[in-house]
Amino acid sequence: MDDFETFLNEGGIVEPDDAMPDEYRQAVFRFIELHANSELMGGLTERDWIPRTPGLRHKMAVIAKTQDEFGHGHLLYMVAADMGIKTRREMLEDLFAGKSRFHNVFHYRAKTWGHQVAIAFLVDAAALASQQAVFKNCSYGPYRRILKRIIAEEGFHMRLGEDRMMRIAQGNDMQRELFQQAIDDWWWPALQLFGPDSKPNDLLLRWHIKSERNEVLRDRWVQKFVPMLQGYGFTVPDPGLYFDDELDRWVAGPIDWEPLKKTFANVGPDSVRRIGEAAAHWEQAAWVRNALDAHHLANV
Amino acid sequence: MSLTDPSESRSPEQLRLEARVHSAVASVDDPEYPGISIVDLGLLETITLGPDATATIGLIPTFSGCPALAIIADEVVIAVQELSDINACSVEWLKAPAWHADRISHEARSCLEKKFTVAVQLGERSPTCPLCASKTVEQSMFGPSRCRSVHRCTGCGETVEVVRG
Repeated sequence: MDDFETFLNEGGIVEPDDAMPDEYRQAVFRFIELHANSELMGGLTERDWIPRTPGLRHKMAVIAKTQDEFGHGHLLYMVAADMGIKTRREMLEDLFAGKSRFHNVFHYRAKTWGHQVAIAFLVDAAALASQQAVFKNCSYGPYRRILKRIIAEEGFHMRLGEDRMMRIAQGNDMQRELFQQAIDDWWWPALQLFGPDSKPNDLLLRWHIKSERNEVLRDRWVQKFVPMLQGYGFTVPDPGLYFDDELDRWVAGPIDWEPLKKTFANVGPDSVRRIGEAAAHWEQAAWVRNALDAHHLANV
Repeated sequence: MSLTDPSESRSPEQLRLEARVHSAVASVDDPEYPGISIVDLGLLETITLGPDATATIGLIPTFSGCPALAIIADEVVIAVQELSDINACSVEWLKAPAWHADRISHEARSCLEKKFTVAVQLGERSPTCPLCASKTVEQSMFGPSRCRSVHRCTGCGETVEVVRG
């Protein structure tokens, strides 16, 4: 392990066929599986909104974003399966049986278009920041290469999010109220997406799977979005938030981590419905998989 | 080429201006592939300079439902209007010809391969792996967007995204 860590510290990149300590293989696998699951669950959320999205411009974006998320999920499941721990089907079955994790933000329900705007604007930015921090220095080659493309595409989602946010922010009182309510509902889940402060001996950092501490990423996000939302005349639902003149920075109030823990245990506010619907889609699409398998068998 | 090829009647000034407009359009990158110009991806079809220093840029989308159309058009308008001798610019999304992967320039193809590990499908043959040049096999015709599919390399096992027409 010492030699392996020296290799990583010197910027070594691990490829699937290379020898690697089992702990490293497990850690990378769990991380990619979580990411893949989150893309899939995120795609399903987005898909729910295709018929309800206002206007052709936004609708095209939502359709494309749905395909993007599923495409990312597919690529990530392939990379994760190559690690030889679980097959793609096992990962999916675990997800639909509620046995594995996906990001906290997909354990909540997107109730209004305002929520969708807040998700595209706040949550996507948080997810992108986390992915960028992984990509910057990621020691696992296949994941690093996939992330490069995913990040470019998520960056594009961010711009669509900004476009949606600007439109709703320049809207009438009712639209602005809708968006304020959405900020109130999504501010904390987005902040919690970064996770609690990284532990001093965080293995993901040590093995160059992640490159920045959770609290650093979270703070950067706060510095960006507090002034932006306030600039558009919205309020941030954190009573403890203040601007520290000496530090010249925004300081967020204490964060309640209980909601995050609940989502980790798949008992968040909307977890049961989300997982149940995803499992139902999987069941309903069984005939497509069977047909493809039959087609494949007939052609080998 | 029609008999009334407009290029024959254009003055050197007009041709120079057209070249500047062309460079301005080329300065716009694809929003999903930073560093690769939309001109290199084959999106630019026509540049029409009208009276009163107006420019109309005819672009073709890689696919008509592409969500990046509005952003690309906005950026092209901004880039072209920055030219001192252009007063107004508009973008028209053309319905023909259809975009195809063979419109991607050689340079852009090599950038897609080297920087993004993305291969380009030309014709029926499955493209080779950007990492090891072995054959790739299609895993799904549905990638993260309509213009991309997902392949796997038979040599190094890499998961490869493929841009296709």
